[in-house]
Amino acid sequence: MINVLPIATTVLAALLSVEPLHLVGYAALTPAFTLMVTYHWTIYRPDLLPVLALFLIGTIQDLLSGGLPGVTAVTLLLARAIVLPHRHYFVDRRFPFIWAGFTLLTGGAMLFLWALHSMLAAELLDLRGPGLRAVLTIAVFPIASFLLGRSQRALIGAD
Amino acid sequence: MRILPARRAAIERISLSLLVVISALMIILGKADQVAFQSLRNSMMDAAAPALDMLSRPAAVLDTAVDRLRGFVTVYRDNVRLAEENERLLGWQQVALRLAAENAELRDLSKLVSEAAISFVTARVIADSGGAYARSVMVNAGRDNGVARGQAAMTGEGLVGRVGEVGSRAARILLITDLNSRVPVVVDGTRQRAILAGDNTARPSLRYADAGGTIRIGDRIVTSGQGGVFPPGLPVGVVVSVDTEGARVEPYAALSRVDYLRLVDYGLAEALPGPLSISARGGKRAEAGVGGPLPLRR
Repeated sequence: MINVLPIATTVLAALLSVEPLHLVGYAALTPAFTLMVTYHWTIYRPDLLPVLALFLIGTIQDLLSGGLPGVTAVTLLLARAIVLPHRHYFVDRRFPFIWAGFTLLTGGAMLFLWALHSMLAAELLDLRGPGLRAVLTIAVFPIASFLLGRSQRALIGAD
Repeated sequence: MRILPARRAAIERISLSLLVVISALMIILGKADQVAFQSLRNSMMDAAAPALDMLSRPAAVLDTAVDRLRGFVTVYRDNVRLAEENERLLGWQQVALRLAAENAELRDLSKLVSEAAISFVTARVIADSGGAYARSVMVNAGRDNGVARGQAAMTGEGLVGRVGEVGSRAARILLITDLNSRVPVVVDGTRQRAILAGDNTARPSLRYADAGGTIRIGDRIVTSGQGGVFPPGLPVGVVVSVDTEGARVEPYAALSRVDYLRLVDYGLAEALPGPLSISARGGKRAEAGVGGPLPLRR
């Protein structure tokens, strides 16, 4: 039962992404919560967050947010494809190392999204928004990582 | 069941590549054919509405609490200001009453056909677009509540956007700041027309303004009613900057923190054609739009 935790937290992250906070400018800068959760579980329990789940949750997030379906799914899948082969570098490392890895991943993901949307819009879009969003995502990651680590302990207890 | 690590890695690689390809195809299809995911979108919206509604309540409560606390601090100042404002408004009330009476008299004289009655639904924002590339919100009212595509979404201050997609109990509002939003507007009190075009920034720009006319900082922008989607005269915003690239408009409504919206039915919703499907392109319109005027946006 506890094994659904990675999927459940990813679904929660997707819902949190469309949660209106009524803060000025927040909607555009909402941290990429699903990216954080994907990164975390890809390092620690990739077996419990299969690619099909990532694809479905990413698509649901796009459908809910009114974005193009497939954009979030492809971002999360590529994130997994990049992190998975290197996960053994991260598993037993201290937090700053994990955080640095996430910083690189987020930078890459935001650039990828920017390039993709620029291509779809057939014009070079403003980079400041995605830049700020990357900063916010990286800044919020420690909190997400702490909470996910907590939930992970419950997993270890159950194994 | 034990799967060999090598086998598992192969399965992972194949399924991941396959899903990436499917996602890419979905992006292309969604971009080319706007109707492709419409029904999926609507049912997803309906399915998630109760959960989103519940999730958005704590934030709304917190927001109200913060506002109330802020209110306590400024209550004295507010009171003085409101008393003054009340004094002034009472004067205006007299003017308005006199004008209303005069207006009724003149209408009577000229036998003017009265405008269609308007009705509205008030709905709460339960989700936003959460990203840098779209500006829309989801509200907790849908077809069951009388919401229809093309209705104007307003706050007390002004136009927010229009209803883009409708499920049975939730609807998506395309904000006037969205990259795809185009609203025919006019500078209030003049005949200077333009199109208010969103570009995902907080301040949409005025495009295709009539040559020869001038737009100045401080000009009030209202809907022109052209295209028949919005009635004329809805307040939109005020011009805040003018440069060689055109003018930018600050919307009256605080778009990034709307909580409740009024979805107003001016009886014009029929005017909005449905989105074009691939098969309908090349001369023929999608079913919903047959006979409608030109689409306002792609």
